[in-house]
Amino acid sequence: MSRTPPPLTLTCFQPNEDAETSEQPLDAGLIRRLLTYTRPYRRTRNLLFGLVTVRAIQLPCLAWTIGAVIKGPIARGDLRGTLLGAAGFAGLAALTQFTLHFRQLLALRLGESVVQDLRQALASHLLAMPMSFFHREKLGRIISRVTSDVEAVRAGVQNVLFVSLVLGGQMIVSALLMLWCDRVLFLMVLALAPAMWLINQAFRMRYSRVMRANQESFSRLTATLAESVNGVRVTQGFVRQDVNASIFQRMAADHSVYNVEVARTSAIFLPLLDFTSQTFIAMLLLVGGYRVLHPGIAMSIGDLVQFFFLAGIFFEPVRNLGDVYHQALAAMAGAERVFRVLDTQPEWQDDPAATDLPRLRGRVEFHGVGFGYTPERRVLQDVDIAADPGQTIALVGHTGSGKTTLINLLAKFYLPGTGEILVDGRDLRRVRAESLHRQMGVIQQENFLFTGTILDNLRLGRPEATDAAVVEAARRLDCLDLFEALPEGLQTVVGERGAGLSLGQRQLVCFVRAMLADPRILVLDEATSSVDAVTEARIQRSLATLMQGRTSFVIAHRLSTIRNADQILVLEHGRIVERGTHPQLIARNGVYANLYRQFVRATSDEE
Amino acid sequence: MKPPGQPLSATATPELSSWGLVRRLLGLAWHYRAGCIRVVSLQVVLLSLGLAGLGLTGVGIDVVKASIVPGSAAPRWPFGLHPPAAWTPMETVAAVSAGILALALTRSWLNCAYSTAVARLVQGEIVTALRAQVYDRLQRLSFRFFDANASSSLINRVTRDVQATRLFIDGVLIQSLIMALSLVVYVIYMAHIHAGLTAACLATTPVMWVISVRFSRLVRPAYRKNRELVDRLVTVLSESVQGIAVIKGFAREGHTLERYTVANRDVREQNFWIFDRVTTFGPLITFLSQANLVVLLAFGGGLVIRGSLPLGTGLIVFAGLLQQFSSQVANLTNLANSVQESLTGARRVFEVIDAPVEITSPPGARRLPQHCPCSVTFDHVRFGYDPEAPVLRDVSFTVEPGQCVAILGATGSGKSTLLSLIPRFYDPCAGRVLVNGVPVRDLHLEDLRRNVGTVFQESFLFSNTIAACIAFGRPEATRDQIERAARVAAAHRFIERLPQGYETVVGESGKGLSGGQRQRLAIARAILLEPSILLLDDPTAAIDAQTEHDILEAMDSATAGRTTFVVAHRLSTLRRADLVLVLENGRVVQAGRHADLAEQKGPYRWIIGHQLADEETRRLLGAAPGVPALAGGGLP
Repeated sequence: MSRTPPPLTLTCFQPNEDAETSEQPLDAGLIRRLLTYTRPYRRTRNLLFGLVTVRAIQLPCLAWTIGAVIKGPIARGDLRGTLLGAAGFAGLAALTQFTLHFRQLLALRLGESVVQDLRQALASHLLAMPMSFFHREKLGRIISRVTSDVEAVRAGVQNVLFVSLVLGGQMIVSALLMLWCDRVLFLMVLALAPAMWLINQAFRMRYSRVMRANQESFSRLTATLAESVNGVRVTQGFVRQDVNASIFQRMAADHSVYNVEVARTSAIFLPLLDFTSQTFIAMLLLVGGYRVLHPGIAMSIGDLVQFFFLAGIFFEPVRNLGDVYHQALAAMAGAERVFRVLDTQPEWQDDPAATDLPRLRGRVEFHGVGFGYTPERRVLQDVDIAADPGQTIALVGHTGSGKTTLINLLAKFYLPGTGEILVDGRDLRRVRAESLHRQMGVIQQENFLFTGTILDNLRLGRPEATDAAVVEAARRLDCLDLFEALPEGLQTVVGERGAGLSLGQRQLVCFVRAMLADPRILVLDEATSSVDAVTEARIQRSLATLMQGRTSFVIAHRLSTIRNADQILVLEHGRIVERGTHPQLIARNGVYANLYRQFVRATSDEE
Repeated sequence: MKPPGQPLSATATPELSSWGLVRRLLGLAWHYRAGCIRVVSLQVVLLSLGLAGLGLTGVGIDVVKASIVPGSAAPRWPFGLHPPAAWTPMETVAAVSAGILALALTRSWLNCAYSTAVARLVQGEIVTALRAQVYDRLQRLSFRFFDANASSSLINRVTRDVQATRLFIDGVLIQSLIMALSLVVYVIYMAHIHAGLTAACLATTPVMWVISVRFSRLVRPAYRKNRELVDRLVTVLSESVQGIAVIKGFAREGHTLERYTVANRDVREQNFWIFDRVTTFGPLITFLSQANLVVLLAFGGGLVIRGSLPLGTGLIVFAGLLQQFSSQVANLTNLANSVQESLTGARRVFEVIDAPVEITSPPGARRLPQHCPCSVTFDHVRFGYDPEAPVLRDVSFTVEPGQCVAILGATGSGKSTLLSLIPRFYDPCAGRVLVNGVPVRDLHLEDLRRNVGTVFQESFLFSNTIAACIAFGRPEATRDQIERAARVAAAHRFIERLPQGYETVVGESGKGLSGGQRQRLAIARAILLEPSILLLDDPTAAIDAQTEHDILEAMDSATAGRTTFVVAHRLSTLRRADLVLVLENGRVVQAGRHADLAEQKGPYRWIIGHQLADEETRRLLGAAPGVPALAGGGLP
């Protein structure tokens, strides 16, 4: 081992959207926005507000009843009155718990419904984001929006909102009861209020800062974890288990520091509040005792006892309010992140005036198209293409010459920086992306299969297709036998990321999937490169069937597969440097002829 | 759709019984006994201070009462502490108040210490250690395990389920210990005040206990199901993100959303079911504890009236104690939830920790020195991911050290599988794989894998700097060594052109690089190991002709002296191979040198025939000026 290496890392974390954190933890705007999600359930919500009010009155009344029984019948020595009082208390208690049942049930349901809607909103927003978003965002972070952040919001709605209202109401009602019992003692309660407010204030800032740092750290942990699981085969192949394990152990330990910090912060706050309420009881005893002991001031020992119980019910919420406050901050942080995702504006959206494409004939034109993923680096410049319906256009060039980018623009995954792209004479900017995609089949270098049967995956582009239609499509592409050879044929379940199928088999699934969708424009982006030569030989002919009558764009590095293209476009550094048919370009003896020569040399039978 | 309750391990482990689970968790707690004892003792001190405060309040009230209501009993002073007789009642009350304050101050301070200690123990030690342990195990489990388990579920096990597991220690064990202790102390204190009243007030407690136990049995499976439904939701989402290009390409956003909606709704329905139960149980328990207060008022009130119970140190303190007692008992709801949550989580955590590492070094494994020339032999190897459906059948061949083997065959014929048996990513069902004449099962696993450099068909790159990606298998490599490996893999030039060169961070799964660039980084990563055996699973599949040419040139020097296995179909590669294996349905149907196979009738000739450039083009190329090499080369 070399002696001074920088600390090893498994992944390099790049904080982006979470860099700036707002300093206002309980943001009224945020709360209001969260509340709008309860609007579809406003009956439940309003009912809850009613129940909350009832509970806020019931709880102090319960305490008051105990005091009243002690002060009244018990102090008087009235046994019958005592029993009556106890019975009254029992009835009130039963009613209170009955209310509690509905208060909790409705709050939980409301929270769950809001959470469901939020998750739904997140998913539909994510699906509407353009591809560039997914090139930037880490999967783990997206997942944690839907899991931990949404969970925090759930706690916010289920516990914070209604519990805090009950607690607050309970305090107000018990304070009023105290005022009614004894004005001086009530004033003492009021005097303590500013102290509590100050404690709360000081704590609030600190706590929200710590909480956010903690959530950040957790996101980091999750992102690393996700990669470790997905890349575990590489890890084992390279015997990195020990190294990774020790890196992760360090990360987990680092993360725990944040957790402990959160706990420590609240560990100072809660006891402080507790101390305040104890102070009150001591003062109560002192002042109350003084007043009872000095005749002439009208206060009985019964009043003192009564006050003792009311003080309990007044201070009980203060402690819980602290807990609730933690959850509120967590909910705010969660909501903020969730809303930040929801507020991420796609860099572009379909023009509101965009229309659906009619069934295409398939003419594609690029006029002076230029593009760069970042403004500094142009990937495409001055690209002009005119493809007639049914033509096959081959794109040739080195890695990084802009072939895939060109395809991304044609599929409207990105919008061109300059110039315009026309399909059947209509500017793509004024066409709804979805209607374009319906008539377009893109088969990429990297294919993705979803958990489910092969049949499900084949049907992806046309869910209404019958089994017979699927089988027919597979037969036309001459790969039915390959699927049928699998353990359960077309019903074979492919796991996450298509586990259980070879890369080539998965690519075949993609071909049939595209065939079924019956697109007017077909894009094959290195589509056959992962299919072995044997299989490729079999499906070349079928691909010709697939491409028949469709405008096709083909990127392939096996140049033998594009000999018959109607146009071959040679790209270099984002520009089209040559165009023509295979014989024309060979005859021209330029870039293409050179590429082809290399290819032939690589495949020729002689040294 | 996978069934939600799928077994975790490829070879199903018997499910831990709840008792076994609890025993393991207790063992875990025992490991942290020092911390646990510290936490519990702090809580005991807190408990006694709380009781002292309550007692003092009662004394205060009695002092007041004694001085204004003639004939009432003198206050009972605890621990024989009497105020000096000279003190006026007011002075006594002041002293009592001061005592309450002092106690409160101490309690606040101790409470703070307590919470911090719990966090240190639980988050700082237990969670950290458990996470590291689960992660460590996850790193070592066999490929079969990962074939069988969704990654989102595995991730949850390290994050959420570990937190649930530790809940057993702080939320269940410590909490119930504290609860039991406080309950005992409360009961003794209450019985000390009045035994009959205590018995009457606590009559409902057994009922609460029975209800709690039944409740916990009822919701256990519900929580488990909840987990599974949430996992499924996450899987659907994570697939949607990973497969977003496909979804958008087919305009399938609507359908995907629908699938997600169903999963989302299922979670809600399941939760609603749980909510119904939980909100019935909680208030019921609270009501039962309030019934105690009713008894206190009626019975205790009667006692006070008869003069057999003092008001302050009697009834008031009793009421306080009863409230504390009830709140502890009400915690039973939380406790019951925590038990469920922690057991469910712990089961999932232990499932990973217990999952057998199917492939390990045998005891007394033979060592394999680094960089030694290696021969590789397959001896009647048979293998299937599912033993019923063999992927390789009776494969036998031998490769001498330093030779290059090309493997050719149709999709699904078992090429990648064959390679994965050499570093023991899987073990064959029958037959043996030998390296230098020693069965790989008998070799030290790490030695074996360190000697094998693998370029996977799909080049997974961790998001890190390019330098770190290449140095993945040899983190201590110098920049020079890294650059050399990159040069061999024809990656140096494109890396140099990147904005930050070798320090450029590549995104998740290597986003931001083209397929060919990623593949070259993967090759560099393997080359840096200087392995004696190099496995290249179609390394040039996604690379254009020019780049491939560069790589092949470079590979020539890289493969020199290494035993190399290449899955490839290109003639250029096949020609260089010392041995070509043609696979069909898991059998070797042809084996030999290119020159010989090209002569034989069989699949090989058919395959290579397809790749040849057509005559017309050759003629054109040959005719074009400046192509002497080809024109000169004899065409077939």
